[in-house]
Amino acid sequence: MASTATAFSLSATSSAFRLSLAHFPKQNHNSSFVSLPKPTLSHSLSSRKSIFTQNLSSKPSFSLIPKFSESEAPVIEPETAPDPESTEIDIGVEVETASTQIVEVEKEVPKREEVFAIVMIGSRQYILFPGRFIYTQRLKGANVNDKIILNKVLLVGTKNSTYIGKPVVTNAAVHAVVEEQGLNPKVIVFKYKKKKNYRRKIGHRQPNTRIRITGITGYLDYPATTLES
Amino acid sequence: MNKDKIFKLAKGFRGRAKDCIRIARERVEKALQYSYRDRRTKKRDMRSLWIERINAGTRLQGVNYGNFMHGLMKENIQLNRKVLSELSMHESYSFKALVDVSRNAFPGNKKVALPPKKEGVSIVV
Repeated sequence: MASTATAFSLSATSSAFRLSLAHFPKQNHNSSFVSLPKPTLSHSLSSRKSIFTQNLSSKPSFSLIPKFSESEAPVIEPETAPDPESTEIDIGVEVETASTQIVEVEKEVPKREEVFAIVMIGSRQYILFPGRFIYTQRLKGANVNDKIILNKVLLVGTKNSTYIGKPVVTNAAVHAVVEEQGLNPKVIVFKYKKKKNYRRKIGHRQPNTRIRITGITGYLDYPATTLES
Repeated sequence: MNKDKIFKLAKGFRGRAKDCIRIARERVEKALQYSYRDRRTKKRDMRSLWIERINAGTRLQGVNYGNFMHGLMKENIQLNRKVLSELSMHESYSFKALVDVSRNAFPGNKKVALPPKKEGVSIVV
């Protein structure tokens, strides 16, 4: 199984379609950050696009609808003061112009920090990127457009360093906004015993909450493992 | 369930199981039983898939899965296998950092300290 797994990690995807709207422009992306390109097939439950790949191919995995998507929500930078008004205006202008243009040339995309965090919510762990949303278990007591701070950050990774929490990265926080409190798609629970005339059919929709990640802060003081390059 | 619902659930079935109600009803009931059972086995399957992937990722660094997880448990790192498999696929440098942490915590791989070399017999001529 080792060979297939390495085949996963080594196969490069062709950037099938260009990313829409507020993504990093490929041509201007001067990072020398090298990560393994995203494999084409992914059975993972948290199907996501890695934003660190050079190709920036955003092909979602086949099995699941991508739960993470880019958005134009204002993003909190860790050290600079957040300036939501100016970034929103920029994004609004880009939305109008990008939709009319086929080729995106030198768009002014607000520079999102390339950082990810692994967070535990509702006893499940998620890999979070700023600007994307995830579905979690229903957070009781959270209303729409509430700001949320997630404290249980297990690992933070930036472009050149990794902050590994034992078990938690102290003082790290992930800021998020509650977008929607909805329900999962329906599953039919069907119980059947043969030859005993026992059939029960129940429909079930699990409540969930969609939260959008705005920023990851507070990890810089923690001892880090840095890539020397 | 009435017939329309059965046929709606029977889309894509083979042969008469999608057209004829008597056969479709049986097949749909079986399909729903399988889905009930497999929602439970999916959790098992995914976990074994993650373990396979982590194993592959760590063996590239010269550590096998058992020693890697032992080292993580010793260091009180509570990342679960799903996330570790994602890191091993997409964030190789972070994963390498984790492997190094685990190797320091539990050096159980004295024999396999380096990535295993190919066992070709090279005769120096």
